[in-house]
Amino acid sequence: MSAAREMLCDTARAVFAEAVTAGIAPVEEAGFALLLVPEADGGFGGDWGDVNAVLQIAGVIIPDLPVAALIASDALQPAATVSLMAGAMGQALVLSIEHVNTRHQFGRPLGKFQAVQQSLAVMACEVRAVEAAAGALAARLDAVGLDPSAAGFEIAAAKLRANRAVGVVTAIAHQVHGAIGFTREYDLNRVTIALMRWRGEQGNDAYWAARLGRQVAGLRGRGLWEALTVR
Amino acid sequence: MQGFALYPFDPPGDIGALRAELRAWLAVNQPQGDIVARANCWASFDADFSRALGAAGYIGMTLPTRYGGGDRHPLERYVIIEELLAAGAPVGAHWIADRQTGPLILRYGSEEQRERYLPGIARGELYACIGLSEPGAGSDLAAVRTTARETAEGWRVSGQKIWTTGAHFSHVMLALVRTEEGSERNAGLSQLLIDLDTPGITIRPIIDMAGHHDFNEVFFDDVLVPHGALVGTRGQGWQQVTAELGLERSGPERYLSSHALLATLIDAAGADPDPAVAVLIGELTAEMWTLRQLSMSTAAKLAVGEDPMVEASVVKELGNAFEQEMPRRVQAIVDCPWDDPGDLGRLLRALLIASPSFSLRGGTREVIRGIIARGLGLR
Ligand SMILES: Cc1cc2nc3c(=O)[nH]c(=O)nc-3n(C[C@H](O)[C@H](O)[C@H](O)COP(=O)(O)OP(=O)(O)OC[C@H]3O[C@@H](n4cnc5c(N)ncnc54)[C@H](O)[C@@H]3O)c2cc1C
Repeated sequence: MSAAREMLCDTARAVFAEAVTAGIAPVEEAGFALLLVPEADGGFGGDWGDVNAVLQIAGVIIPDLPVAALIASDALQPAATVSLMAGAMGQALVLSIEHVNTRHQFGRPLGKFQAVQQSLAVMACEVRAVEAAAGALAARLDAVGLDPSAAGFEIAAAKLRANRAVGVVTAIAHQVHGAIGFTREYDLNRVTIALMRWRGEQGNDAYWAARLGRQVAGLRGRGLWEALTVR
Repeated sequence: MQGFALYPFDPPGDIGALRAELRAWLAVNQPQGDIVARANCWASFDADFSRALGAAGYIGMTLPTRYGGGDRHPLERYVIIEELLAAGAPVGAHWIADRQTGPLILRYGSEEQRERYLPGIARGELYACIGLSEPGAGSDLAAVRTTARETAEGWRVSGQKIWTTGAHFSHVMLALVRTEEGSERNAGLSQLLIDLDTPGITIRPIIDMAGHHDFNEVFFDDVLVPHGALVGTRGQGWQQVTAELGLERSGPERYLSSHALLATLIDAAGADPDPAVAVLIGELTAEMWTLRQLSMSTAAKLAVGEDPMVEASVVKELGNAFEQEMPRRVQAIVDCPWDDPGDLGRLLRALLIASPSFSLRGGTREVIRGIIARGLGLR
């Protein structure tokens, strides 16, 4: 990550931590609405790589606050949601790993049981897939100057892939946590409820699958590969 | 928190031109073979095709020119590999030699071994097989019992390998053998390059459930191989094999080997598909697009000299699942009789039957998940 992006992320972490109790005001005051606004117009002049990084942090710390709406236009909300989802899924994995490493049953940490390890490996693959989708979508948006129609294929593919990961990720995260994960106090529900909500927002699986499927059908079999490799 | 770093896929040179060049070459040279052979293409053997591909400079691309290679960047090779697979080219004959045996010989082999084997590999004429599995050593590879005893004349090899893909047409086997008498587990193992025409070797076919002869049993009955057959350092076989498996697990073949089914499904569906089929195509496309990003990032990490063991395992796990589910999901939606004579029907049947092997070859699903769990700090 570039030094500028790293600084931006540090700021985001600090500001978002404050926003946990204070609401969206600190995020607005810190100027996150200007993240994509060009420097010449008094903004930060960021790219979608920056937005992706910041929204992943938002997905971890303040999944309930409308940070994405503050930063990006309506047409880019599906893309923004993918970044939020990638962050929240990463956090579900982090919490799960911490939990199985500390919770003991049958005389050892849960994480030492092969069945638990295998479940978390499955979950990690899904998380990794969504991170990759968010990253590739960011690269495409930056390459086409944030034109959502030029990135229509990637937006559809990434949102659909993220949506499909939600079921696996939330199910395994809750399973390995046992009852503690089902409590209100424990942190897990903050990200898993958000994930369930985001799956249905900005287009659910059926919406994007039909849309992408029709688009690809128009390309024909060989054309799909050709379209993928010129991007 | 950002979990895994994405490595930018940034090959040198004009990649668009490289793709176009290969596509044009394939248009002329790719056999208009059967659609089924195209679907499981890295298991399709065609020596003429391999030789022509080698002559055109698309095998051994990353090997130094002094061994007949192309001295190209690994990501240029990646682009060529994905194009070959997406086109369903019959790459099975030279696949293992090009992907792992060649690079392993370059890295660990003696000068004599390099000169002897690499030019033939790069020409697409010299084929190799992987001698790891034994009847008592599958997932538990450290249980290998085939022995090689050092004598004045050379190594005396005794034992048995099994599931050896391509042993019946390969010229050489890279075998993992026990070179220290009485050694246990992963200590005392070494790698030997064994010419398969050496007396005392018996190769017996094993026919798979698709009716194909891809893999074999290989018996070594007091086989004498020269001292110079040892690859790398005696006793370091385990470390070398681990590096070899890294090469085996990171390529685009982990999700592109049955791409022909997706392409055929799209063609069969037509420009205005049935809604359920459109949804299926959309879902499979999203998965494939994502897998390609993961695979390219993994290749990029490997190309900058870092070890992508965990990432490669993620690609293999998700890629195997994708390829295994694809025919099942197509069958669930598209009405197609088992003995349908059309392209889609024959492909579907062939891949349904082939697909159980996808999560076995190159490391089973459970073993791969174990590697990922280790990467997560759980083991
Ligand atoms: C098409 C194909 C091509 C192949 N080509 C080659 C080749 O060229 N060269 C070569 O050397 N080998 C080859 N193999 C062999 C392959 O590497 C082995 O099949 C694989 O390593 C598994 O070994 P096994 O078949 O003995 O299964 P087993 O080890 O008996 O395992 C059976 C099942 O039990 C599971 N299992 C085993 N141990 C554990 C454990 N500790 N925890 C949880 N689950 C476990 C496995 O994951 C698997 O699901 C090939 C296999 C196939 C299918």
